[in-house]
Amino acid sequence: MQNLDQYKAPADIAKWRALALGVGGIALLAWAVGAYMNTEQALRSWLLGYVFWSGIGIGALGLLMLQYLTGGAWGVVIRRTLEAATRTLPLIALMFIPLAIGVYTHSIYEWTHLPADDHFIKDRWIYLLPWSWIARSVIYFVLFLIMMRLLNGWSVKQDQTNTVEESRLVLEKASRFSGPTLVIYSLVVTFASVDWVMTLDPHWFSTIWGFLFIVGWALSCLCFTVAIMANLSGRAPMNGILGKRHFHDLGKLMLALVMVWAYFNFSQFLIIWSGNIPEETGWYITRMAGGWGFIGMVLIVFHFAFPFLILLQQDFKRRAKWLATLAVFILVMRIVDMFYLIAPNPRVDESIVESGVFYISWMDFVAPLAVGGIWLWWFFGELMKRPLVPAKDPYFEGAVEHGRGH
Amino acid sequence: MAKNIYGILAEFDTATQLVDAARKVRDAGYRKTDAFSPFPLHEIDEALGIKRSILPYLIFAGGITGLLAGFGLQYFVHVIDWPIIVGGRPHLSLPAFVPPAYELTILFSAFVAVFGMLFLNGLPSPYHPVFNVPRFALATREKFFLVVEAADEKFDHEETRKFMETLGAQEVFDVPE
Repeated sequence: MQNLDQYKAPADIAKWRALALGVGGIALLAWAVGAYMNTEQALRSWLLGYVFWSGIGIGALGLLMLQYLTGGAWGVVIRRTLEAATRTLPLIALMFIPLAIGVYTHSIYEWTHLPADDHFIKDRWIYLLPWSWIARSVIYFVLFLIMMRLLNGWSVKQDQTNTVEESRLVLEKASRFSGPTLVIYSLVVTFASVDWVMTLDPHWFSTIWGFLFIVGWALSCLCFTVAIMANLSGRAPMNGILGKRHFHDLGKLMLALVMVWAYFNFSQFLIIWSGNIPEETGWYITRMAGGWGFIGMVLIVFHFAFPFLILLQQDFKRRAKWLATLAVFILVMRIVDMFYLIAPNPRVDESIVESGVFYISWMDFVAPLAVGGIWLWWFFGELMKRPLVPAKDPYFEGAVEHGRGH
Repeated sequence: MAKNIYGILAEFDTATQLVDAARKVRDAGYRKTDAFSPFPLHEIDEALGIKRSILPYLIFAGGITGLLAGFGLQYFVHVIDWPIIVGGRPHLSLPAFVPPAYELTILFSAFVAVFGMLFLNGLPSPYHPVFNVPRFALATREKFFLVVEAADEKFDHEETRKFMETLGAQEVFDVPE
């Protein structure tokens, strides 16, 4: 069997780690100043950064289970990286605290301020009170953490096996777990995305909302993984493992997810546009005018059309550096998408910015940097702890061979 | 050179042997060649020097045609030929036009993909001389075959046959027309 030490992460990841912490720390200080000046804006910006970066960690959980279900070489080569991303979930839970405080002190979501006779508040009754909202989020994190612990536990166990049969048994266990759990995962993400983002506009609702986040977060995580893989592919140990065909496969998945993202978003838009009911259209009316409308167009062109046309080309997908560049570009668009979903929503304190008026704060740049820097610092730490590939997986050698082909 | 020969067929036991032989055949200068295997072999394209198919470009063109056809049809029907106001919306309501245009994009690309593939492969082909060799039926099961056509410029019955016999084939056959 393989010697696992040869698959340790290259040592210079420690440098990236320090850099991430430095940027994150400085941004966090700046954000703290902002939080002192304008708490609501600071929390809204934190939510923006939080939903984007936690999406990579939570999306990793989904992709990890997906690759256990489907199998395939692409899943084997990125499995340990996805696992490292899922192990950031304790940090993600920790970084939720500012939002929980924000809800508890009624300073981020408009619904915490609505009069008791508002039909929204009346109908939601006990479901939408600050304490029940926080309690639900705690449940989401507990469920995510259980999934994360079990999946990572099996992966550690697999690395300790000595025979192919033992290793196959562990793999089967993880695969059997992933099927039903992916259903639970989808439900948890749906509830979480509704609680964290959709309730920002308490009078609007969309039933495809959860899937926008399941797909969007999977796309974020996949793009992040492609960027990491491309960076590792030039050096030992990954230069002996990753091949053109792995990137080709990952590129195809990126294309599929970009398309599904557009498909779900358009489905939501078309149904609301066709229905033309006042309580639904308001959300889009705000987002189709002025600066928000411009951002909507940017998303259609650069989150869908541009990556779609580029990813159609076979040669592009087979070049790690090119694919990684596009992946980073899509990640930037993912933040813009989250900004489009979060920022135009009604505010608690309308003295700073009126509802529906285009407004972008300096904290919308600083908070994602703060959350991201700290998240990356944690992620790189986790990445260095384990071998970069599941070398004892029964399909490992086949997966490496796959990459060498044409 | 016998007139009634389609080419010379060599039978191999493994895919690796076939690919190695294909490389040698190409290095020897033969161009009108073909390989047969029970499952797809990605290496064979490169070994025989088969160029990349133009099919993807045809499919893309088909998709664009479908998209324009879908929008064009709806534009003609809703704006030019029979304008009716539905639900208080303008005649040219782009969001509503998207799903049919999208479906036609998929339909046209799928048609081009299937029929273009058949056309580029020269299918359907009710008769092919290689089936005149009885053992060729094994190409769908466990054997690998390589054929050099008599139409090749370099083809010479005696010499080519001798050359094919050096490739490590299990057996070499003349393929009658």
